[in-house]
Amino acid sequence: MMHYFMIIFPIMLTIMFTLTTIPLLVWMERRVAALIQDRLGPNRCNIKGIRLGGIIQPIADMLKLLFKEEFYPKHIKHKFYYILAPSIVFASSFLSFMVIPYADDITLNGFTYHIQALPIELGVLWVFAFAGLGVYGIIIAGWASHNKYSILGALRASSQVVSYEIAMGLAIVSMLITYNSISLNDMVQFQGQLIFGFIPAWGILMQPLAGLIFIVTAFAETNRAPFDAAEGESEIVAGYHTEYSAMKFALFFMGEYIAMSAASALIVTIFFGGYQIPWLNTQTMHEHMQLVILLLMVAIPLMALGFISWMKFNNSSSPQHQKETKFATIFIAVFIIFLESLFFYLFASGMSSEGSSVFTMILQIASFSIKVMLMNFVFVWVRWTFPRFRYDQTQHLGWRILLPLSLLNIFITAIVVVVGGF
Amino acid sequence: MGVKIVERHGSSFKDKTYVWAIFSGMKTTFKKFTSNLSDTTSVPTSEYPETQPDDITDRYRGMHRLTHRDDDSVRCVACFMCATACPADCIFIEAEERDDGVDEKQPSRFDIDLLECIFCGYCVEACPCDAIRMDTGIFSIIARERKDFVVNKEQLLKNRGAFGQENSLA
Repeated sequence: MMHYFMIIFPIMLTIMFTLTTIPLLVWMERRVAALIQDRLGPNRCNIKGIRLGGIIQPIADMLKLLFKEEFYPKHIKHKFYYILAPSIVFASSFLSFMVIPYADDITLNGFTYHIQALPIELGVLWVFAFAGLGVYGIIIAGWASHNKYSILGALRASSQVVSYEIAMGLAIVSMLITYNSISLNDMVQFQGQLIFGFIPAWGILMQPLAGLIFIVTAFAETNRAPFDAAEGESEIVAGYHTEYSAMKFALFFMGEYIAMSAASALIVTIFFGGYQIPWLNTQTMHEHMQLVILLLMVAIPLMALGFISWMKFNNSSSPQHQKETKFATIFIAVFIIFLESLFFYLFASGMSSEGSSVFTMILQIASFSIKVMLMNFVFVWVRWTFPRFRYDQTQHLGWRILLPLSLLNIFITAIVVVVGGF
Repeated sequence: MGVKIVERHGSSFKDKTYVWAIFSGMKTTFKKFTSNLSDTTSVPTSEYPETQPDDITDRYRGMHRLTHRDDDSVRCVACFMCATACPADCIFIEAEERDDGVDEKQPSRFDIDLLECIFCGYCVEACPCDAIRMDTGIFSIIARERKDFVVNKEQLLKNRGAFGQENSLA
């Protein structure tokens, strides 16, 4: 039973990280955008007065899209490709998530389990394959829509992805030289080390230039602002999804958010230490389990208290809101008491080595999800800060600046590795 | 006339990398985000149905009203000036003789179709008796059916001015 659960578990995690984070990401995008622009954002949607800060809104949006009429424009000749396109976009961004490691390998009852949905060594190559495949969906969508705007959007998207994939690949090559592996799990394990005994050996600290290039190209690969000329509504209506509506549009929409999440996961895995908690790699965590539990016992209630006081301050303008705040406070308090008693039990009874490794795994998954959400926040933050690049500027940046820089970075990395003999 | 030479920016290496400009821009938006998040009351958005606007001035063109004389009877003399001036043709007047000796004519019917009305204020300008005004401050007009948006004389007389001047000045 345990055996099968541990095999299915990472697949469940993948579904959680992709499908269930979409409403969360949409919510985050809208609320962060609103707060940056001095607005409030969606905060009215509720179920019996419980608004959860507006998280109900994306659920309502999704319901609306589901029940909308399935409409096919009359001029579409190849309906098959027209329907295939959003599926490709959705599926490829979904599949690129499969090789991301969520936690370190774990040994239970003599078996070693990989906390990866697809425990293959290909790692980076798999992600690149599916990131490249995603643009096929966009090209097919543009062509099958039989519409000038759609085809312009598809052209822009495909040429942009082609030109940025080179710089992205070359930035990764220098990381492969550094880590000496293409398996994502090996990379994350490498990042658990410390440089000079006190700096975490994260990719961004060892290769800041490659990190910067990779992050910029990841923005371009996911067709997100400031590189979203492919759906530049000021010139070409909505680009490749002009002719799509209802759930077919929603698939594009969700595919975009999953691609963003997948790009964040990849950036975090390669450059920000993946599931590693700084200064606490798997080995250290096993040795100092009691201390970690003690720290959590102190830190989690403090964070909850901070959150509750923030909520009391900001959500008490009307009796309805006060009631909601009270409800949320009770819910959080009960949850914290449950967690505290669990931690206390673990602390007092002392854990077996297996229990300790399961606990480590849970902490690492939590660390990974927090990092991914922070990176998603950066994506959103950048979108609502910068204006869109003009199309020729996008190409100029890709070919004439990022490509030479990434080549230079490979040379320097290779020289350091060969001469330094690492 | 001296020539003022404007220094051109953006040609130094620091400017050309864009990195500093990007980070300073992100700093600005992040500051905005955190200050608004820590105190949402500082966001200028007002929660509309609960919080009604408090910045409607006396020149705001809201829903129409018919003004009264000092003896509280209707000021309108049914001269059709407003209906003639109306570019949307939304005022419908029927006149009748006035028997009480105050004046000669008064409207028996005075309807305004608020769905047709474009709130231009020409009727107010055209009126020689200061009998129609738009100073009610009513900006939200709600009804369930189309026909309920046609307001009649009684409703227009019931509307009161929101800014002090109650009776007709003419």
